[in-house]
This record gives sequence, structure tokens and C-alpha cells, in this order.
Amino acid sequence: MPIEIAMLFAWMLLIVFLALVACMFEDLESDVGSQSNPNSQVQLAPQVGQVHRFFNKAISGEAPAYALYCTVAGVIAWVLLSKGAHPIIAIPIGAVVGEAVHVIFSVTAHVGRTTAQKRFEQPIYLDVLYGHIMPIATHGFMATLCITAIAYIQSNLGTLSGNPGLDHPFALPMLAFIWGITVGAIGSSTGDIHYGTEREFQDRPFGEGKRVVYHGKITRYADCGVRTQKDIAAFCAKFGGPCTGLTFGVIILFENWRTLVGMQVARYLPNLEAAAGDSAAVIGIVVGLVIGVAMIVGNLVLVRWARKRYGTFVGE
Amino acid sequence: MTVGGGPVVEEEKAEGFTIPPDVKQLGIIAGVISAVILIFPGLPAVIKAVGLILALVWGMDSVRKTSKYGLGTGVPSIGVLAMGYGIVGALVGIALVSKVVSKVGDSVLAPAAALGGVLLMGVVGLVSGVLSNHEKIIGMKIPKLEQGMTELGMAGTIAMLLQFSIVAGSLNFDVVLDKAISNGLIAVMFILSCMAMFHPYNACLGPDERRPRTMIVSVEVSGLLCVILGIVVAAVATTTWGVSGVVDGVLLVIFGAVVWLVCFVKFVRMCFEEAYSTVGTGMIKTIE
Amino acid sequence: MDPILILVCVILGGVLASLGVHLLPVGGAPAAMGTATGVATGTVMLMFGAAMCGLFTASSVATFSDNILLVSLSGSVGSWLMMGVTMLVANVIYVFGTGIVPVSGRVDVDPITKEPQKAYKTPQCDGHGVPNVSYISGMVGALLGGFGGAIMYFGLLNYAHFEETMAGIAAMGIFVANAIIAAYNIGGTIEGFQDPKFKRLPKALVSCGVISLLCGVLVVLVVNLGGLTG
Repeated sequence: MPIEIAMLFAWMLLIVFLALVACMFEDLESDVGSQSNPNSQVQLAPQVGQVHRFFNKAISGEAPAYALYCTVAGVIAWVLLSKGAHPIIAIPIGAVVGEAVHVIFSVTAHVGRTTAQKRFEQPIYLDVLYGHIMPIATHGFMATLCITAIAYIQSNLGTLSGNPGLDHPFALPMLAFIWGITVGAIGSSTGDIHYGTEREFQDRPFGEGKRVVYHGKITRYADCGVRTQKDIAAFCAKFGGPCTGLTFGVIILFENWRTLVGMQVARYLPNLEAAAGDSAAVIGIVVGLVIGVAMIVGNLVLVRWARKRYGTFVGE
Repeated sequence: MTVGGGPVVEEEKAEGFTIPPDVKQLGIIAGVISAVILIFPGLPAVIKAVGLILALVWGMDSVRKTSKYGLGTGVPSIGVLAMGYGIVGALVGIALVSKVVSKVGDSVLAPAAALGGVLLMGVVGLVSGVLSNHEKIIGMKIPKLEQGMTELGMAGTIAMLLQFSIVAGSLNFDVVLDKAISNGLIAVMFILSCMAMFHPYNACLGPDERRPRTMIVSVEVSGLLCVILGIVVAAVATTTWGVSGVVDGVLLVIFGAVVWLVCFVKFVRMCFEEAYSTVGTGMIKTIE
Repeated sequence: MDPILILVCVILGGVLASLGVHLLPVGGAPAAMGTATGVATGTVMLMFGAAMCGLFTASSVATFSDNILLVSLSGSVGSWLMMGVTMLVANVIYVFGTGIVPVSGRVDVDPITKEPQKAYKTPQCDGHGVPNVSYISGMVGALLGGFGGAIMYFGLLNYAHFEETMAGIAAMGIFVANAIIAAYNIGGTIEGFQDPKFKRLPKALVSCGVISLLCGVLVVLVVNLGGLTG
């Protein structure tokens, strides 16, 4: 295998690793500052009389929010790169600026939402406000850094692996935007379940959907003292976070891998022969379809196993 | 407001900090001023930024009055819709400008053609408002949704065009394409303007939401947008002075930072004062 | 440039976006508490994320293939993989993290696998997890939605001669507007094609068709006035 192709696959694997880290930290960040769908319960709690010490970080859904931080980071990195800065410097600085924006939005969201609940007697706890800013910023920094690095590598993939024709056609900020949207959509659709269904209602029966009557009555006490959002990250880091990271990593792996395999098998690489382009695309599509069908079967098996093992509903 | 259905919250009478124009006046004032600023791309970036802030505040106000009734998909969707339309409208706007320039030469009033894009997008917004509100079609039953979506389409387009004008220093198709679109800057413009429109109402959502407080967040986010745009303008500038030169960018950064700081501090102070109570720390209320 | 082809691509993209939104199993906020069937996020966000993932692959493929069908199918397979992995891992978390059996709340018997649903459902809940019927419905929805996004990108890139990033962002803008209108039609949550709300589909298709037509006309206007040629 020529060295260019080996480098191409190596860079792809690096992207997959970064994606894994990015989405795991994205999910943990959305737990450490309650965001997205489970936040509806944090929002509802004071209305049913349950004053809490959670961080109400309501910055839209996670998808636009992460698109925002990653795009800001991408733009700043792009500006620095265009001024000749080394990517090792440019990408972290971009991510720091993205996180500064994140923190500003978090503060406005928390104080704004809490103030709008005046009639439910929910106070603003300053220690909750100040104490969560750094955990949010650090978790978010990891996610934004990795996404910006992915965007940088993909927009220069060809140049880095020695074949400039393979650079992605989109500009760096646009790629940061795309992956920001995707990482947010995945983080909110998988990782939130562990936080919303399990950790937020931990004093309710395990193994059943959380009934409508429980809504808003969240678990407000921790193992020791009053629960804040920081306790939740430690719990979700054991299952929900890694699973979410795995989701994004696997998606990026399949997406890039099937395209590269198509190119390789159709002999489009290493000389970018235009005649082989169509068959490369066909192989990529077929590989993707096969993986998808395998996942449908996987879901059938998983659901059947759960039905057999857990049985019908036995509670009241 | 007397329309039935939905939790209609009566406008609270202003207490403490107020912003003079009411919903209707603000739309007209902001729309006219930002449209006038839009016609002159030769103005310094700071003045265009004022127009941008007005356009975004107008959009935020429309988001607020439509999503007050509950959209079913959360507040953010309608802000994203506005900027999705804004991108298409802005492209039409700059294409119109370049057509006028090629026909009558580079006259001072050629950029006024960009307003054609704003009006066309207003029409698309109106059609989508009618479609989503009409009983026989989607039937969302939100009072004045038609008007809201029209305003959102127009505000989104004006905001997008003003950002093009700030970054590229012109509304000519090729210049904008080169300096603001093909390098991906349009992505940050899109998402930050979305945020300036929907984040304020989303962040202040709750029974005790108050319009002045919500509005100040919009100005604050627009300030942040100005900082980012200023950095970009200063970095990609080809000249030191003049429209979209380095100095222009630096001034825009300073202006944005000041606007952001003033509004942020003011908003957080207002919240601390208006919240049920602001305590350093404390236990939660126990339930029997 | 060919105005008819641009219009067809944009309208097809918008209508397929709307159809895709109706097929995705999305439970919104209640799904994050295991109170509703579907993926625990907003319809627009999920469709948007899936379509963006597809758009990324489609734009890569568009650099080495000029075939409209291959580029669009690449995009649709990108979305299909994204949805597949997301729903599968969501189910893994439901089953192993919270001990819940995925079950539909709207039908008593799964129309595809014929598994009974009602006995497994928690009372006072509208289903939980992503049962097989919703999973398959979601996969089909992602396939269609991704195809819509990618064909719109291809039309803007090759028939309207937009520059790549411009085509990407414009396709995204039109796509998301249609997805939002479709999401309003279903009130934000749906379980898949077995959901009674799915019967409202024609209304959304008509609205999205009209809106995409208008957007397509505007794109043609941009091409004509801006003097874009290959």
C-alpha cells in the first residue's frame, strides 16, 4: 500500500478518535450544565414546588448551541491560520474563544430562566452559578477543541496525507458548523437518556418509563447533602457519556471509512483517476447500506433480548 | 390581545428599566433605520453594526410574539427558520445589486436593489405564515403568525445583508462571494444571528418573563456578533483605513465589546434584583 | 444553467425533507425521561443533524462523481448511518442504562414484527425507547431526508453553479426551513408511520412543496441576476 493511502487511513482514524472524545465530553457538558431535553424537568421543578440547586442552562437545543461554539472556534482558528499561525496554536485559541462565548451564553440562560420563575420562589444561588462555570467551560473546551481539530484535518486531509486533490471542498468554519450540528444532535438524542431517565429520577422505581405524575419531581438530594449538577456528570461519565462518544465515533468511522474504501477498491486512489469516481461512489453506497441493514438486525436482536429478559411490565 | 386559545400573557406595565417603543413601533423603526443603513455600504462598520443590532432586535421581538403561544417544537426553531430564509433572501439581494450595477454602472443607489431581496423574502415568509396558520392546512392557530413570519423573513434578510456588507465592504455579488461566503464565514453569521434572535426569549422563558429584559439579551448577543465580525474584518482586510479596513475592524471590535459588556452587566444585575432572591448559598426548601 | 432542473432539485429536496421528518421517531423532551417513544431530541434538530452528516459525505462524493443519483444516494446513506447508530445506541442506553424495554405507545401490536406492545408499557407513559417499527420507519425517513438534502446540494452546485460552501449553506437553509414547517405540522413529536399523526402528511407536503417552489424560484433568480455560469 503506498504511503499516501496509509496516511489517509491514519488521519481518518485520528479523526474517529477525536470524534469519540468530542462527543463524550459534549454529553458530559450537557449534564454538568443541564441542557436540552432533560432540562425541561429542571425548568418544571419549581412550578411543582421543588426548589432546586441545579444549573438551568437553556441555550436552545444542543445542536444549534454546539454549532455556535464550534463555528466561533472554527472562525477564530481560520483567522489565525490565514495569518500564518501554526495549527497547534490556532486550534486551541479558537476553542478558548468558543468556550468564552459558551460561558457567556450559559450565564445569561441560567440567570434569565431563574429570574423568570420568580413566582415559584426559586432563588438564584450564586455558588451554583459561579461553581458551574468552570466545569462547563472545561468539558465544553474538550468538545470544541476536538471538533475544531476534526474540521481542520478534514479541510486539509489531502494536503496532510500528500494528495491535495482530496481536501474537503467546504471551508473550515463550514465543516466546524456541520460537525457542531451533528455532535449536538447526537449528544442530545443518546446521552440525555441516561441523565433524564435515570439520574434525574433516581429515587423512583428502576426499570420503567418515568410516569407523567413524576414530572418535575426530580431527585434533589445527593448521596451527601443537596444535589447540584456536578454530581450528575460523575454518574453519567460511567455509561451515558462513553456511549454517546461511541455513537459519534462510529458514525464518523463509517462515514469516512466507506468513502475511502470505495476509493481504494475502485482504484480511484492514489492517482485520483476521474474514470473510477462513479464506481468508488457505488462501492461506498453499498458498504453503507450493508452496515445499515446490519444495524437494523442488531436492533431486532436487542429489542427481542430485552423483551425476553425483562418480561412484561410487573409494577403497579 | 383578545384572541382566544393559548396562554395569552398580558404585557406587563413597565417597571424600572424600560425601552420606549412598543412591539409595533419597534418593527417600523428598526426596519426603516436598518434598511436605510443597508443602502449605503460605504458607511463605517460601526454604523452598519447599529443597523444590524436593530434588525436582530426586531427579529427577536417577532420570535417573542409568535412563540409566546407555544410552537410545539421549542422557541429555537422559528429563529433558525428566519435565518434559513435570511440566507436565501440575502443571496437574491446581492444578485439584484450586481444586476443593477452591470446595467446602470456603479451608482450610489445601486445597493438599494438589495431591498428587493428583503421584500421577496417577506413574500415567502408571508406565504409560509399563511400555510402554517391556515385551518385547512397546518392549522397552528397562532394569532398574527403570518405577520410574524413575514417580519422574520425580512429581518433575517436585512441582518444577513448587513453582515455581508460589514465583512465584504460592498454588496457586489462577486466581492461578497469571495470575502464572506466561500471562506465559510457565512456559517458563523448564520448561527450567531440565529442565536441573537431566539436565545433571548429562550433564555428568559418563564411566567415572569419581561420584554425589556429579554431585549437586552438580544443586544448583548449582537454585541458578541460584532466582536467576532470585527476580528474577521480586521484580519482579512486588504487596506488599513476605509471601509472594512483594519481600523474599521478594530473599531467594530471595541464597539461590540462595549455593547456586550454594558448589556451583559446590566442584564445580570437586573436579574439579580428581580429574581425571587439572590443568595450566596443556601439550602433548598424541604417538602413535607 | 437549467431553471427546470434547479426547480425540480429544490422542490424534491424540500418535499423529501418534510417526508423524512414525518418518518423519524422523535419523542422530544418526554422521550428523555422515558415517557414517550422515540429519540430524545427535537424533530428539526435530529433531521438537521442527519442531513448535515449526509451533506458532508455528499459533498465529498461530489468532488469525484458527476452522477446526480450517486451523489444523492451517498448523502442519503450518510444520513441513514447516522440515524441507525444514534437510534441503536439510544436503545442500548434504554435497555442497559435504565432497564426499559423499547415499546410503542400508539399501537398495540408492532405492525412489522407482530410483537405485542401493550403488556410491556409502563402505565401513564406514552411508550418508551425505539421499538423495531419506529426504528425501521426512522431508517427510511433518514434515507429520504438525506436524499433530499443531497439532491438539493447537487442541484445548487451543478445546475445553479454555486460555489461549494455557498451551495452547502443555501441547501441547508432551504432544507431546515422545510423541516421546521413539517415539524409544526406534527406538533414536534411523532413515532413513525404507525402514528395517527402521520395522516397529516399531505398537508405538510403541500406546504413544503409551495415553499420550496418559491425558494427554487428565488435560486433561479440568483443564478440569472448574479450571472453564474459553469
